[in-house]
Amino acid sequence: MFRTSHILLKLCLTALIIGLGFLIYLDARITSTFIDKMWELPAKVYARPLELFVGARLEPDELAYELEVLGYRKVRHTGGPGQVARNRGRFEIYTRGFSFPREDEPARRILVDISAGRVAALNASGRGIDLMRLDPVRIGGIYPLHGEDRVLIRLEDVPDTFVAGLLATEDRGFYDHWGISPVGIARAAWSNMRSGKVVAGGSTITQQLVKNYYLTPERTLLRKGTEVVMAVLLDAHYEKDQILESYINEVYLGQDGKRAIHGFALASRHYFDTPIDQLDIHQQALLIGMIKGPSLYNPQRNPERATTRRNVVLAVMAEQGVITSAQAKQAQSRPLGLNTKTQIQGTFPAYLDLVRRQLRQEYRDEDLTTLGLSIYTPFDPILQRQIERSTTTVMDELDKSGELQSASVVTRFDSGEVAALVGGRKLRFAGFNRALDARRPAGSLLKPAVYLSALEQPTRYTLASVLADEPLKVAGPGGKVWEPRNYDREIHGDVLLYQALAHSYNLATARLGMDVGLDDVVQMMNRLGVQGYIPPVPALTLGAGEYSPMDMAAMYQTIAAGGFRIPLKSIREVVDAQGIALKRYPLEYDRTVSIQATNLLTYGLRSVVREGTGKGVYRYLPSDFDVAGKTGTTNDGRDSWFAGFAGDLLAVTWIGRDDNSETGLTGSSGALRVWAHFMAAASERPLGYRMPDGMQTAWIEDRSGYLTGKGCPHARLLPFIAGSEPRESTDCSPRPSGIRDWFQSLFGTDS
Amino acid sequence: MAVTRSSLCLAAALWFSGCATLDTANEDAGSATVPATKPSAPTTVPLPPYRAPDPADSNAWRSLLDQAQQAATRGDYERALVLLERAQRIEPGAGVIYLEQARLHLIRGDLAQARSTAERGLLYCDNPDLCDALRDMLR
Repeated sequence: MFRTSHILLKLCLTALIIGLGFLIYLDARITSTFIDKMWELPAKVYARPLELFVGARLEPDELAYELEVLGYRKVRHTGGPGQVARNRGRFEIYTRGFSFPREDEPARRILVDISAGRVAALNASGRGIDLMRLDPVRIGGIYPLHGEDRVLIRLEDVPDTFVAGLLATEDRGFYDHWGISPVGIARAAWSNMRSGKVVAGGSTITQQLVKNYYLTPERTLLRKGTEVVMAVLLDAHYEKDQILESYINEVYLGQDGKRAIHGFALASRHYFDTPIDQLDIHQQALLIGMIKGPSLYNPQRNPERATTRRNVVLAVMAEQGVITSAQAKQAQSRPLGLNTKTQIQGTFPAYLDLVRRQLRQEYRDEDLTTLGLSIYTPFDPILQRQIERSTTTVMDELDKSGELQSASVVTRFDSGEVAALVGGRKLRFAGFNRALDARRPAGSLLKPAVYLSALEQPTRYTLASVLADEPLKVAGPGGKVWEPRNYDREIHGDVLLYQALAHSYNLATARLGMDVGLDDVVQMMNRLGVQGYIPPVPALTLGAGEYSPMDMAAMYQTIAAGGFRIPLKSIREVVDAQGIALKRYPLEYDRTVSIQATNLLTYGLRSVVREGTGKGVYRYLPSDFDVAGKTGTTNDGRDSWFAGFAGDLLAVTWIGRDDNSETGLTGSSGALRVWAHFMAAASERPLGYRMPDGMQTAWIEDRSGYLTGKGCPHARLLPFIAGSEPRESTDCSPRPSGIRDWFQSLFGTDS
Repeated sequence: MAVTRSSLCLAAALWFSGCATLDTANEDAGSATVPATKPSAPTTVPLPPYRAPDPADSNAWRSLLDQAQQAATRGDYERALVLLERAQRIEPGAGVIYLEQARLHLIRGDLAQARSTAERGLLYCDNPDLCDALRDMLR
C-alpha cells in the first residue's frame, strides 16, 4: 500500500514538473512572440503616381483607367475621398491623398479638364494647381509563403459601432473574463453533446487569437487544453485592448488567390475598397459575420448566404443595443455594396518578378515579408495596358493557336526606369518570365555593337566607309569553317557602312566585326550594359550567344541615352513601415561609349527604319514621327526581335517558341509589328536630333562614299566626327535641289 | 547656398533667353549663290531646331526646380536631387535640370557624377549660354 502510494506520488510529482515545464514553455512562447507577431507585414509594391499638371499629355480614357485601377468610385458629384465624377473630358476627382516619402499629397477635390490629349486645366477650390500626384496604384505585395496580407490599424481608429458589434457577436464578456469563458464553453459543450458532433466552439476572442497565432486548426482535446491555458496566460500578460487590437489585425477573412486576407482593415479595402473608418453599418456587420466562416460567407462567392449572415449580425447588434432596431432594419434592406473595381493586385506577375529580383539582391526574404516595407516603382499601368494590348492584338493576328510566345521590355531611357514588362502571352500567369529568363540568340540586334566599335575609330571608319558585302570564310577550331550568308542569299558588293547597317547585311557586318576585332565587340557589349558570358566567336557579329529581352533592353538603353549607361531599374525607393526612406535608387549616368560615335550609330538606326529592314514601323507610325531601331532574326526564323526608341520610350520585343522551333517570322514580320503598334499608341515624343560637340555634316555621294555637292546625283547629308570626313571627292558642284532626305529634314526647311 | 540660388537664376535666365534666340540657320545657307567648282567642304552645323520643352509643360517642372533650389539653400541636397529627378521625369529635355543636377553633385563632392550629368545635359542644351555653362562643368 505504502509502495503504491509512493509510486503514485512520484508520478504526480513528475506530471506536476512536466506540467509546470509546459506552462513555462507556453508562457515564454507568448511573451517572446506576441508583440513581434503584430508587425509581420508583407512589403507593398506601388506603381508610379500619375503626375497631373497643365500641359501633361493624357487622354481622358487613360485618366479614367488610372482612376479605375485605383478604385475610385464613379458618382454624380464627389462627396468624399476616392470618388470621381466624369463628363467626357472633364473629371471632378476627390483624391484620397497619400503620404509619399518626404511629402504628403493632401486629399482634395480637384477639377481636371482634358482637351486634345492634354490636361488643359487643373483646379482645386477655384485656384489653379501647378503640379500634383494621384495616389499610386498598389500593384502587389511580397508575401511570406503562407501568403498572409494585412493592413495594420490601431484600435482607436476602428469605429465604435464596429468594436461593439464585434464583441456583441463574438464575445460579450470579453472585458470581464480571464481569457476563457466557462459559461461559453459549457454552452458549446451542451450544444455539441445534443447534436452528437462539434457544432459550436465557445471560444472567446482571446482563444481565437491564440488558435490563429500559435496553434493548428485540428480539433483535439490536447489542442483545446493548450488553447485554454495559453488564452489565460495571454490575458494575464497583456491589456484587453492590446488583445482586441491584435485580433482585429489578425483575424482571417478570406482568400484572394494565393493571398490570404487578414485583419478587418485589409478586408474592408478588399471587399468594399473603403477604409474601415468609412464603412457603413451594413458593411461592418458583413465583415463581422464573416468571422464565422470566411469561405462559407464570402460575399463575392455566396452573396445570398452572406446577406443572411449579415442580417443576423445586424439583429444581434440591435438586440445588444449597439444600434437601434430602426437602424438595423434599414441596414438589412441594403445591398451588400461590394467593391467592383478592376482587380489589379497581382495582375502584373512579370513586373513584380523583376521587382522581387532587384529587392532580393539587397534584402532578406524575411525582411521583405514582415517589415511592412513600401516599394515605390516606376511601373506605369497605362503603358503596361498598352504593351499588353499591342502584344495581344499582333500576336492574335500572327498565331491563333497561342503557342507562339512574346516578351517585351519598355523603359524610359532618360532615367533607365523600366515602365512596363510582358513576360509571355498569358499576361496574368506567373510562370516562365521570358522577358528576364528566355535566353536566345539575338540575331542582328547585336550588330549595333559591331558598328559602334568601328565608329569609335573615326580615323578608320565613318558612316560613309565602303564595306565589302562579299563572301567570307573563317576557320574555327576542329577544322570547322564559319561561312555566313545574307538573309536574301545575295551578295551586294561595295556598300557604305550606314547602308550595311540599314539593310542588315550579314557579310559586310561579319567582315567589319572581324576587322575591328572580336574582343573589341565583346568589350563594347559590356560597355553597353550586357552582362554575363558573351562568346568571342566570329558568329557573335551576327548575334551568337544567349540574351534575354532585358539584356537587349540594357544594351539599347545605353544607345538611346546617347552613350550613357544608366542601369535599368524597377525600384525608385524603399520606405519602412514608419514612412522613413530606407534606400533611394538615384539616377546615375556613366558615359561608357563615345557620344559622337553613338550619335553616328543612331543615324544608322534611323536609316534602318527609314530605308532599311525596319521600314515597316511606318505602317503604324506617322511618317514625320522619328524613331530609331533594329530588326533581328535568328537562323530559320527561330527568334524575331525588334529593339528601338522614340524620344521618350525604348522598347524591346521578342517573339519565339519555348521549344526553340521555327516561327516563320523575321524581325520585321513579327516583333517589329508589336513594337510599332505599341509605340504608335504610347510614345508621346518623336526622337529629337542634336549634334554633339565635335561633329559636323558633309554631302556624300551614297555610291562611292566621296564628298560631293548638295544637289549632286546621289548626294546625301551625313554626320561625321569632325575631321573624319572623306578626303576623296566627286567633281560635282553644289546646285539647287528640291530633293531632301529624312536627315536633312531634321535641320529645318532650308538645308 | 547663395551660389546655388544665383546659379539657378542664371540658368533660368539663360533658358528663357535661349528659347527666344534659338538659331535655326542651316549649315550652308547661301551656298546656292556660290558657284563652287569643288564639292562643298564639311561644314559645322549650328544648333538644329531641337525640340525644346513644351511651354505648356513648363510650370510643372519649373515649380519643382524652384523647390529644389529652396531645398538646396537649406542644405537638403538629397531632397533637391529627388525634386530634380521628378522634374526630369516630367521634362527630360530640359538642359537646365541637368545643369542643376550636375551642380548639386559637385557640391556633394561627386565629381564623376557631376561631369557625366553635365555631359549628358549637353545633349539637351538648346542655347549657347546654357551649353557653355554645361561645358564649364566639364573643365
